[in-house]
Amino acid sequence: MRAWLLRRIAAGVAIVFASVSISFLAIHLAPGRPFLPVDERPIDPAVRDRLNRIYGLDQPIAVQYVRYLAALAHGEMGESFSQRRPVAEAIADAAPNTLLLTTSALAVDFTFGILIGLFQAARARRRSDVALANVTLLFYSLPIFWLALVLQLVFGLWLGWFPTGGVDDPAVYGSLPLIGQLANRLHHLVLPALTLGIVGAGGTARFQRASLLEALGQEYVRTARAKGLAESAVLIRHAWRDALLPMISLAGLALPFLLTGAVLIESVFSWPGLGKLATDAISARDYPLVLGTTLLATCAVVLGSLVADLLSVVADPRVRLTT
Amino acid sequence: MTAATVGALLAIAVWTWAVVAWCGRRPWGDAGRRFFRHPSATKGMVVLVFLATVALCAPLVTPFAPYQQILTLQDHAPTWLHPLGTDFIGRDVWSRLAYGARVSLGVGTLGMLVAVTLGGLVGAAAGYFRGWTDALLMRCVDIGLSIPRIFLVLAAIALWGKLGVVALTVLLGLTGWFATSRIVRADVMSVRERPYTDAVRALGARPWWIVLRHVLPNSAAALIVSAALGIGNMMLIEAGLSFLGAGIQPPQPSWGNMIADGRDQLATAPWTALFPGLAIAVAVMALNATGDALRDALDPKARGV
Amino acid sequence: MNRTFVHSPRILVLLPALLVALGGCKGQGGCTTEYCGTVVFAASGEPTTLLPAVATQAIERDVHDQIFLKLAEIGPDEVTFGDSGFTPELARSWEWTDPLTLTFHLDPRAKWQDGPPVTAADVAFTFDAYTDSVVGSQDRSTLLEHMASVTATDSLSVVFRFRYRYPEMFYDATYHMRILPAHLLRNIPHATWQTAAFGRAPVGAGPYRFVSWTPGQSIELAADSTYFLGRPHLRRLIWRVAGNLNNAVTMVVAGEADAVEVLVTAANIAKAKADSALTLYPYAGSTFNFVRFNLRANGDRSKPHPVFADPQTRRALVLAADRPQMVQAVFSGSAKIPPGPIPQLWSWLWKTKLTPAPFDTLEAARLLRGRHLSFHLAVPSTSPTRVQYAQLLQEQYRRLGITVVIDQVDNATLEQLLESGKFDATLESIQNDPTPTSSVPPLWSRGGPTNWGHYANDRFDALVKTATSAPTREAAQTAWEQAFAALDQDPPCIILYALDNIAAVNRRIADVRIQPDSWWGLVRTWRIPPNQLTERDRAGR
Repeated sequence: MRAWLLRRIAAGVAIVFASVSISFLAIHLAPGRPFLPVDERPIDPAVRDRLNRIYGLDQPIAVQYVRYLAALAHGEMGESFSQRRPVAEAIADAAPNTLLLTTSALAVDFTFGILIGLFQAARARRRSDVALANVTLLFYSLPIFWLALVLQLVFGLWLGWFPTGGVDDPAVYGSLPLIGQLANRLHHLVLPALTLGIVGAGGTARFQRASLLEALGQEYVRTARAKGLAESAVLIRHAWRDALLPMISLAGLALPFLLTGAVLIESVFSWPGLGKLATDAISARDYPLVLGTTLLATCAVVLGSLVADLLSVVADPRVRLTT
Repeated sequence: MTAATVGALLAIAVWTWAVVAWCGRRPWGDAGRRFFRHPSATKGMVVLVFLATVALCAPLVTPFAPYQQILTLQDHAPTWLHPLGTDFIGRDVWSRLAYGARVSLGVGTLGMLVAVTLGGLVGAAAGYFRGWTDALLMRCVDIGLSIPRIFLVLAAIALWGKLGVVALTVLLGLTGWFATSRIVRADVMSVRERPYTDAVRALGARPWWIVLRHVLPNSAAALIVSAALGIGNMMLIEAGLSFLGAGIQPPQPSWGNMIADGRDQLATAPWTALFPGLAIAVAVMALNATGDALRDALDPKARGV
Repeated sequence: MNRTFVHSPRILVLLPALLVALGGCKGQGGCTTEYCGTVVFAASGEPTTLLPAVATQAIERDVHDQIFLKLAEIGPDEVTFGDSGFTPELARSWEWTDPLTLTFHLDPRAKWQDGPPVTAADVAFTFDAYTDSVVGSQDRSTLLEHMASVTATDSLSVVFRFRYRYPEMFYDATYHMRILPAHLLRNIPHATWQTAAFGRAPVGAGPYRFVSWTPGQSIELAADSTYFLGRPHLRRLIWRVAGNLNNAVTMVVAGEADAVEVLVTAANIAKAKADSALTLYPYAGSTFNFVRFNLRANGDRSKPHPVFADPQTRRALVLAADRPQMVQAVFSGSAKIPPGPIPQLWSWLWKTKLTPAPFDTLEAARLLRGRHLSFHLAVPSTSPTRVQYAQLLQEQYRRLGITVVIDQVDNATLEQLLESGKFDATLESIQNDPTPTSSVPPLWSRGGPTNWGHYANDRFDALVKTATSAPTREAAQTAWEQAFAALDQDPPCIILYALDNIAAVNRRIADVRIQPDSWWGLVRTWRIPPNQLTERDRAGR
């Protein structure tokens, strides 16, 4: 176990290093430069030379790479060009928003996914199962940004039930009591989290249904049934427990999906999270910020799969650890 | 929509029915029977055959060229002549949708072909040779799986500035093979342990020959299923990229850039973005349904039913 | 279990609604007077820094123009000749001691928001900072070209010495610089101004104080009730970061923000018009959009461009573009075709005898002599309007046998293509100053810093020289007219459109006036009548 953990961590560090190096090379080779005029007012070349010198961009790329790695080894991610402050600060401001969005979406995803999956398994091959199977298949197949736009139009603009963007209403947020602040945030969270969660729930439900049905076919479930247990008890107490195990690794794998979704969702709902930070950084050629966000995303994915593997060991001692 | 268009569409519908019915009656063996018994297989196939035929015969079923602009008819609601309305520069949404099917389905299918080929080869090599080859390749796969794909693709597009359809397809393929290679590797490893592989090896066959001739065909089922399910994912990513302004270049229509074009008009002329979104959803649904049926048919032990 | 499943979606919708109702129970109260309003602006982007000397973007100017003051403000007519149109701001009065020496007398009531009075030394300090290459201000070259020095003669008098005489001296002395607090900035080395913390928490002498900046979300300013030119009516100004124009307009239409400065597209205008809570305010736009031709070979500046080196071909391409139809199709009347590279802001230049070149495919075909042209057109993917325009142009040219390949690239790439000369043609938009003197020459004069297409026209250059040194506006108008006529015969670009800007502002806000060169420049005179106040206006930290 310990050796396995150490090996996994070493592999994780290597992966992160490789991904940072690839990103470094990619973004520096990309055409376009930082410090571009944002609104069609040409920037004075002298001003840009000045900025290039300040940020060390006048050095050869190899020098910049070594400098970046050296700084990174000391825990420094550098200064963002477009925000004129440390990358760590920019990420520290954005990460909680993405964390809130993705965890809420994951909650929606698993709540709906598991419930629908259970319901379908209980009614397997009946009309309601087939109908729900079509619905989950539809959600699973929707382009997420399109769903976001449609929900924003219908529930934000036409019905006016939910805000169309942002994490809170800055005009009133500061003066609200704590419960009001909570409500305000929740109100803003509903549409983005629901969009992201619903698309994921389609996949989760399909997975849950399949693994439940597989479990229902197992020997011990048949035994339980033979003992005269009620069908619902068989489903919940026996089959479900067994079918939850694969769900844990599914949760670990859901992370890359959620991050990709967050990039698109955050752009539609003006959500100031990591996805928006990253896309803005790419279009501004804000090299340190691009690298910082890639670093964080890679770490999250590596950690996510590690935690999922560990959890499945805890949940089921029969699982063997291999790299 | 002219009488000729309606006629052509009807003809395609009949053709679709005929193709699916013909396929259903062929003696494909056990797997084929299982496939067509699956509740969603026929539905999925009907949609796919229909969409593919519309894409191939786009000039026959569209009354307008996809880039033809009628500037007196911008953002016009659906009419008999323009059954899905017109877009912000007076182009017929139906015609663009039909031509867009070529791009969207084509990019998805060919991209997946690249991904499956690459994933299959890498997975087979890793699974067969084991040792350092395996370690090296699988670490690359780990890295690929760890960088969120959209970052990777966005960065790559920034790298090349702008991409043609071919380059975009290859790029999607190059970033989409990681998961496939893992599946194939696992499959190959189990096949490799089987007695007949040893027998072939004992007969003096070259390793690559063994992999290509004996090992890969055995994991063909896994490959086909992962491809069928992956095409939909490819299409969704192409759409997402076009939405972020980094996908197919105008005036070439793809379902993704049609949504992007229609985004500003979503409130005032919803049909411009609504229909391409639905088209993606329907196509991906059909692909997933067919993929499910294929998986259940080819891999009886994983049958979810 | 069945029940849970059926009810859970409804709970999910009801729960936040319930919580919102709870949160709203705080009751009335708070501010109820004439000086209460809160205005939320929806912003397409986010500032990088709010220190005016190093700020470059329009959104930065929007915010820091509320915090910092100029010596005098250009009037609503945007007259740049002489000083007749200007209104006093930090300077109470001014006089010419000799033709090259201008003395300003500061208003003794002006105070920095942290207490000390604004002095002449601050003005001298500001000039030194703006003109130091280490600071890296965009306005450095303009200021140094015209002015030799700025010195304080006593605590409230400051003297500007010019290098030579020209008609827009007063404009240059006052328009470019926002006066900065020397006591706060003196100890910050010039080399670090670009990244100075002051830029994220600025202190000025203007009508609004900086309150907070939540990155990625909002910036809040509060009215300075002791502001010496009159207490601003609006108590709080908040900029919400919407990320792009589409999101910003959506926020305003949904009532989550009160104002957006431009609508641009016909769809946005239709959306805003349909919303009875909004009032639309048209004002002169400061941009014009054009297709720039590269006269040198794509990627090789030493060779002529195979298509665009020939003036006849360029002229043919101008004539072959049906610009009236495109303006109608994209903007349905909210943009015009200028008779030269002229934004609507320079309204006096629109009153010339010039007319835009006609749409004349016959003449175009004659000039093309049956050749089939083909070229790439680079368009920024971030501008839906320009992407739309590119597609319209592509289709019009296709019918004439001219092949246009559209390359959608991001802004950073477009900028690099321009600088390295690796382009055939680009579809660009240019933001202009209130005067053509500083805007036109860099674009098209031989060797101009942004003349990326290497256009050269001696006659045009000579006429520009006459225009920029003309003593009166009438003389300048005649000279510009001739210069633009020269451009028309030997076109460096296809001028496509100049926007009528339209701002959408919530109806509850009264006395809305918009300054064309700095949209929110007059916000301190806006107000919200007490009977129109909402929860959002009354709330406050």
